[in-house]
Amino acid sequence: MRIASPEDLDAVRKIGLFKIQPDRPRIAVGLATCGIAAGGNELYDRLGSIIREGGYDIELTKSGCIGFCRQEPIVSVTIPHKPLVLLHHVTSDTAEDVIKGVLQEDIPKNLALCRVKEWDHITGMIQYGEGFETIPDYHEIPFFSNQHKIILRDAGFINPEDITEYIAAGGYSTAFSVLTGRDPDSVIDEVKRSGLRGRGGAGFPTGLKWEITKKAPGSEKFIVCNADEGDPGAYMNRNEMESDPHMLIEGMLIGAYAMGISEGLIYIRAEYPLAIERLRHAIREAKSYGLLGKEIFGTDFSFDIKIAIGAGAFVCGESTALVASIEGKIGRPHPRPPRLTDSGVWGRPTDLNNVETWCNVPVIMAKGAEWYSGTGVRGNSGTKVFSLVGKVDNPGMIEVPLGTSLHRIIYDIGGGGAGGKRVKAVQTGGPSGGCIPERFFNTGVDFESLLTMGSMMGSGGLVVMDEDTDMVDIARYFINFAASESCGKCLPCREGLKHTLLILNRILAGKAGVEDITLLETLADTIQATSLCGLGQTATNPVQTTLKYFREEYDALIVQDLPDGGR
Amino acid sequence: MDTTGHTVTITINKNQYQAVEGEILLEVARREKIDIPHLCYESSLSPYGACRLCMVEVVTCGKTEMTTACTVRVHRGLEILTDTPDVIRHRKILLELYLAEAPHSDVIKAMAIRYGVTKTRFLKKIVTGDPLLGRCVLCGLCVRVCNEIMGAGAIGFVNRGPYTIVSTPFLEENPACMGCGTCAAVCPTHAIGIEDTGEKRIMRSWSGTPVEMIRCAGCGGYIGPKPVMEYARSRIDPVMAEELQELCPACRRKQVTR
Amino acid sequence: MDEKRLDEIISRYDYPSGRILGILRDIQVSEGYIEKDLLRLLAEKIEVPVSRLYGLVTFYSFFSLQPVGRHIITLCMGTPCHVKGARTILATLEDLLGIKGEEESGKYFATTADNQFTVVIARCFGACSMSPVIQIDGNLYGYVTPEKIPEILAGYGWHP
Repeated sequence: MRIASPEDLDAVRKIGLFKIQPDRPRIAVGLATCGIAAGGNELYDRLGSIIREGGYDIELTKSGCIGFCRQEPIVSVTIPHKPLVLLHHVTSDTAEDVIKGVLQEDIPKNLALCRVKEWDHITGMIQYGEGFETIPDYHEIPFFSNQHKIILRDAGFINPEDITEYIAAGGYSTAFSVLTGRDPDSVIDEVKRSGLRGRGGAGFPTGLKWEITKKAPGSEKFIVCNADEGDPGAYMNRNEMESDPHMLIEGMLIGAYAMGISEGLIYIRAEYPLAIERLRHAIREAKSYGLLGKEIFGTDFSFDIKIAIGAGAFVCGESTALVASIEGKIGRPHPRPPRLTDSGVWGRPTDLNNVETWCNVPVIMAKGAEWYSGTGVRGNSGTKVFSLVGKVDNPGMIEVPLGTSLHRIIYDIGGGGAGGKRVKAVQTGGPSGGCIPERFFNTGVDFESLLTMGSMMGSGGLVVMDEDTDMVDIARYFINFAASESCGKCLPCREGLKHTLLILNRILAGKAGVEDITLLETLADTIQATSLCGLGQTATNPVQTTLKYFREEYDALIVQDLPDGGR
Repeated sequence: MDTTGHTVTITINKNQYQAVEGEILLEVARREKIDIPHLCYESSLSPYGACRLCMVEVVTCGKTEMTTACTVRVHRGLEILTDTPDVIRHRKILLELYLAEAPHSDVIKAMAIRYGVTKTRFLKKIVTGDPLLGRCVLCGLCVRVCNEIMGAGAIGFVNRGPYTIVSTPFLEENPACMGCGTCAAVCPTHAIGIEDTGEKRIMRSWSGTPVEMIRCAGCGGYIGPKPVMEYARSRIDPVMAEELQELCPACRRKQVTR
Repeated sequence: MDEKRLDEIISRYDYPSGRILGILRDIQVSEGYIEKDLLRLLAEKIEVPVSRLYGLVTFYSFFSLQPVGRHIITLCMGTPCHVKGARTILATLEDLLGIKGEEESGKYFATTADNQFTVVIARCFGACSMSPVIQIDGNLYGYVTPEKIPEILAGYGWHP
């Protein structure tokens, strides 16, 4: 069916609501990439065969990921008029216990993680019910209670492969009211006033970028979603697309309408097959409901989204290289200007935003700029999703207001170092970022503070390092990464990073003298100042920050009296 | 190009110059004999910005920012500094990197010496057996003229990062090469080797691709690669092409004077 | 791959954006590598110089020009995997399978003598919370330790 009126939308919402809250028990297995790797598919099959064989009246379905990776596989159970219960570490062996518990309305204590009495999808509220008093409440679990979920509001609660569940949680109602009742320029104005900044790392004001694209001469333009999440240790975008793909599509639809653009592209990395599959499915669903394609919601606005898949090159996260890749060329950046907003895909004006940036759009339009900017800190409004990984006790996908301190993230949510080890540093911003030592963990995570520390926001990977982590080795790791991902076009990045790596290898092998450290610093400075694109300009941040904050680890490796200066 | 034709005044190293709005800064500097070193710029191709040697400082409201002279377009009031201590410091390191990357290039050595750089602290690349003679700096001019101007697409970049080289597909002889030699003509470091054996032209740097030569219809001497002649013929009036005899310059002169 | 199949793959892409890399990707997925003559044939069919396609397949790490073994083991070398010992995992794999690749070459690639296993390195799967991670024929294994590897490999026909 095609949705063309509020009544149509309401009818679909009712179908979806009945799937989220059926008149019988519902079991949903968290099946994003991590859940699957933890054995989620086997568990899903096992639960299915038990239900079939027993002829039980239970609905079995899949959901996205709630982000508490350490507790995988995670299963959510809803019994009519009872709270939703999250179960953790469920395996094929305990599948029987889950079914039994559901049938007897008595959830096994060892499997229950927490209960949810009602859930605020922000665009809609779901009341589950009362009961199960002995199971801790969602808000009593520190991993959850210290978070503030706006982007991840649906993740783990709805089936990402069913558009009706997204609509049941209030999805597409914002796009409907925008497309049928808002002036496009007022949408851009709303996004500008919200203070939303690009979540891909640079933090450019989104509304301003939209305005520039809209004003660029030409009638045929593109909007592009950058889903080439390249930073190692970052998987926010993967989870956003796997757990709630329609949120991205709705965001792009609203943006396209605001800018008056009818062609959209999602550039996604090949390493994310499940996200690609779910996006393709979601696009098909959206088309069949008339939410993509011609005359959306019965208006005269048309918009379509195509998927272009990357082929494994970190540099293609850089905007001009990304465009080259879409056009079937080698991903080598070219000097700007021209900017993408003037000449992007196939030479046409192009607006490029990161997955998470697009995901912020529906909620801004639903609740308004004032509501949105009430979260976060001045100049950094809203929340940010982070992947908290490495040597932290509770690794996972988390969301906090911008400006939240690293301490709160790493200790209150993450539970500190894994296995009780002392945390030494956190690496932010991927290969372009830096290592921030523990003594600065009171720093709030926002675009500017991280830059002041010599690091950067990047896309949101937080890799925790503990007392056993060798910081010179970490610097070497990142330089090796950047050197092998360098496109090879400009000299400082191509040759400079190679020699940086050779010097670091020498230092780690105990064959370097003091002058090698000087050369390392000098070279890093030149690479930063003279590289053509962001990859090279930021590639030496891991070296510079480790030299700044962990100099003693370098000094300990330096040989004092090398004959002939070590050469 | 957004050249509007307006003449504007710009400032380079505190001196004022006249330039056309929209033209490339490096072109102005060349015309005015202001020395800015560069390897990858060629006026007939779009700005590339790879060699990074032409970095200069742009002064805006008292603040300076480093950028490449080959990508800056002239506008009214543009203020440039070409030899600040920062520019020189970085340029010297870049030249050291080039000395390590292309250890056999005399062009690079001469460039470096002018900045007082006589040796490199970086490990020199091992270039034994390099078809580009240890002189290639990956400026990309050969690849760009072959693809963008000649339309032959005989050579391209292979691999990425520090492993990048310029070569033919599969590092094998490539029949797409016309043997025109434009690549060698634009190469700033004279890295590309071409050998004429008489009936064949051997593209030494391009996997030894052999190109057939044609003889002068007059004296019988070898005058040029056959594919180039065919390419030229295909682009002119067919009647003229029919009449056009392949002659060496000496025989052509004779024919004209006759 | 025969010409008919190649034509079928080309016909999947009628939209210019993402076309060339899409075709190459489908060939890679179907064959496990991109064969020389097939690349030449493709160049002819889509009217693009071979040098350009060769540039693409040597630039992007998703493509391989060498035939791969029956099972592909992809080791994740993302930062969390690195700090949690991915290098030890690689050493164990090399040791058990009797192979040796070039770790710093940007494109790690090593195939066993019996052509059963090929080991390659990925920069990040985005399964960081379960690091270190390896993937065999598309199946992801998290929290890998050197001790667990023989058992995992045994599931793919490996024996000491």
